[in-house]
Amino acid sequence: MTSIATMYDKLKKYLDNFIIGRGYTNIMTGYITGELQFLIFIIILASLFRIFSFPLAIIILVLTGAAAIYFAPTIINIEKENSNELNRVLYWFLIYFAIIIAITIWGG
Amino acid sequence: MMELVSNLWSIPLIVIIPLITAVIVNAIYDKEVIKYISIASALITLGISIISPYGYHWFTGHPAFDPNTFTFTFDPGIPAFRLSLEFVYGPIQQIMIVISSLILVFCVILATVGLTKRQGPYMATIFLLFASAAIIIMVNDLYHLWIAVEIGSLIVVGVVVASGTSISHKAALKYAFFSAISGAGLAVALALLLGITGFANVSDIIRIMNTVGISGMEKILYISFGFFILAWMYAGGLAPIHPLKSEVYGASYPHATAVLQAQSKLMLVAIGIIMLRIFGTLPFIKEVMIFLSVITMILGVVLALIQIDFRWIIAYLIISHSGLVTLGIALGTKDGIIGGVFQAVNDIIYMSVLLFCCEALYYFGGATSTKNSFGIARKSPWLCAAVLLGAFAAAGMPPFNGFQSEIILIQASLNSGLPEIAVIILMVSITTLIALLRAIYRIFLKPPEVEVLEAKIPKAINFGIWLFIILTIIIGVYPDIALRFIIPAVEGGFLP
Repeated sequence: MTSIATMYDKLKKYLDNFIIGRGYTNIMTGYITGELQFLIFIIILASLFRIFSFPLAIIILVLTGAAAIYFAPTIINIEKENSNELNRVLYWFLIYFAIIIAITIWGG
Repeated sequence: MMELVSNLWSIPLIVIIPLITAVIVNAIYDKEVIKYISIASALITLGISIISPYGYHWFTGHPAFDPNTFTFTFDPGIPAFRLSLEFVYGPIQQIMIVISSLILVFCVILATVGLTKRQGPYMATIFLLFASAAIIIMVNDLYHLWIAVEIGSLIVVGVVVASGTSISHKAALKYAFFSAISGAGLAVALALLLGITGFANVSDIIRIMNTVGISGMEKILYISFGFFILAWMYAGGLAPIHPLKSEVYGASYPHATAVLQAQSKLMLVAIGIIMLRIFGTLPFIKEVMIFLSVITMILGVVLALIQIDFRWIIAYLIISHSGLVTLGIALGTKDGIIGGVFQAVNDIIYMSVLLFCCEALYYFGGATSTKNSFGIARKSPWLCAAVLLGAFAAAGMPPFNGFQSEIILIQASLNSGLPEIAVIILMVSITTLIALLRAIYRIFLKPPEVEVLEAKIPKAINFGIWLFIILTIIIGVYPDIALRFIIPAVEGGFLP
C-alpha cells in the first residue's frame, strides 16, 4: 500500500539524486533551478496540445509527468543530450526532420 | 513611403562596399591602415543605410512581365511577374541593416583595439558576414536566399576559426559540416517550388499559388517546407542545432559574437517571413514553427542556467531569445510579426551590451568563469552597472527595450488564444534574469576569491557599451522610434 511515508521516501530519493558530492556548490543552484524550470516548462508545453484536442492534451500531460519522474533528475539527461558531439546532433536533426515531415503531410 | 524604382542606387552599395573592403583589407593583411579603411567602410555603410530611400533592385536590369497587357515594365508598382533576381529595401530592411551596421562599426573598432596581428583576414570575414546578412534580409528571390545562406554559413566558420583557439576550430568544423546539409536542403526546397510554380521569385511564387492554385501539390509543398525548416533551424541555431550554434557563439571573440548574433537574427526574420508568405496558408505550418520556437526558448534558457562561464551563458541566452523572435513570426498575426521583428531588433541591441561587457572582462585576465568570484565591481563599478542594466534589458524589465517587444509578443499570444505561450514567454524572461544574475553575482559582486589584474578598459568598449545601453532605454521609453519602421511594413504587406 502506498503511504505518505513511502511517497516522502520517493521524493527524498528524487531530491537526493541531485546531490553528488557537495550539494551546496554554486553550480548546484543552477541545476536545481534548471530542473524545476524545465518541469514547469514541459508541463505547460504538454498542455498546449489542447489546441489539437483536449483528450490528447490530457494523455500527453500524464505521459509528461510519468516521463519527468522516470528520467529524474531530468536536467542531467538534457545536459547529456545537449552534447555538441556531431553524431548526436545529426541524430536529433534527422528525428526533428522526420517528425516535421510526418506531422505536416499526415496532418495536412 | 516606398519609392517605386527598380534600380535603387543604395542596394548594391550596401552589399558591394563590405565586399570590396573585405578584399582590400585581406590583401593588405597586417598594416595600421586596415584600421582606418575598416572603420571608414563600416561608417559609410551605416550612413548609406540611414539615408537611403526605399525601393527595389532588379539585377541584370531585367524588366517585369505584365500578363494582362503582354508588355514589359520597369515599374515595380504594376503587379507583374518579376522574373529577375530581386532585392528590396523597405522599412524593415532599413531598421535591421542600420542596427547591424552600428554593431559592425563597434565590432570593427573593438577588433582593431583588441587584435594586434593578422587584422586583415579577420576584418575581411567580419565584413563578409555583414554582407551576407544584408543580402539575406533584402532578398526576394530564392536563388539569392540560398546563395546568401550558404555564404553566410561558411563565413561564420571563418569568423570562428579566426578566434584561433582549439575550441573555436572544433566548433567551426562541426558547424561547417552541417552547412552542407542545410544548404543542400534549401536548394531542394527551391527546386521543388521552382518545379511547382516555374518561378524562383518569392512574389511570383505566391502570385502563381493564389491564381493558378496548388491543388494536388500540397505534399510537395510540405516537403519543401520541411527542407526550409532545416535551413531555418541551422541559420538561427534553433533546436536541435543549438549545441553547435551556442558553441560558435561561445568560442568566438565577444565582439564577433555580436555580429554573429545579429546575422542570425536577420536570417531568422528573413527566412521566417518568406516561409510564412509561401506556406502560411497550409494547415499545421504555423503549429510546427511555434513548437520549434518554444522548444528553442525552453532549452536555451534552461541550459543557460547550468553553464559555468559568462560567455556560454550569453551564448545560450542568444539561442533562447532567437526562439522569441521566431515565435512572433510563427504566430503569423500582425501583432505577432511586429513583436517578432521588434524583438529581433531589441535582442541584437541588448545582447550586444552584454557581449561588449564580456569583452571588457578579457582585460581583467579573462575573468568570465563563474567557478570563482573576482569582485570586478570594486575594480570597475561602471562596468558592473552596465552589465546589470544589460541583464535587466534582456530580462524584459521596464523601461528597457526588451520589455516593449516582449509585451507585444505576450499580447499577440493571448490574442491568438495561446495563453500557455504567454506564460512561457514570461518564464523565459524571469529565467534569463536568474541565469545572468547568478553569473553577475559571482563575477562582479561577490568578494573576490581570486585576485584579478588591474586593467584599464579601452574607451571604445566603454563608449560602445553605454551607447547601446542608451539605445535600450530610448527604445524602451519611446518604442515608436523602432515601431514606426516595423508596423507600416507589416500592415502594408512586407514585400511587393
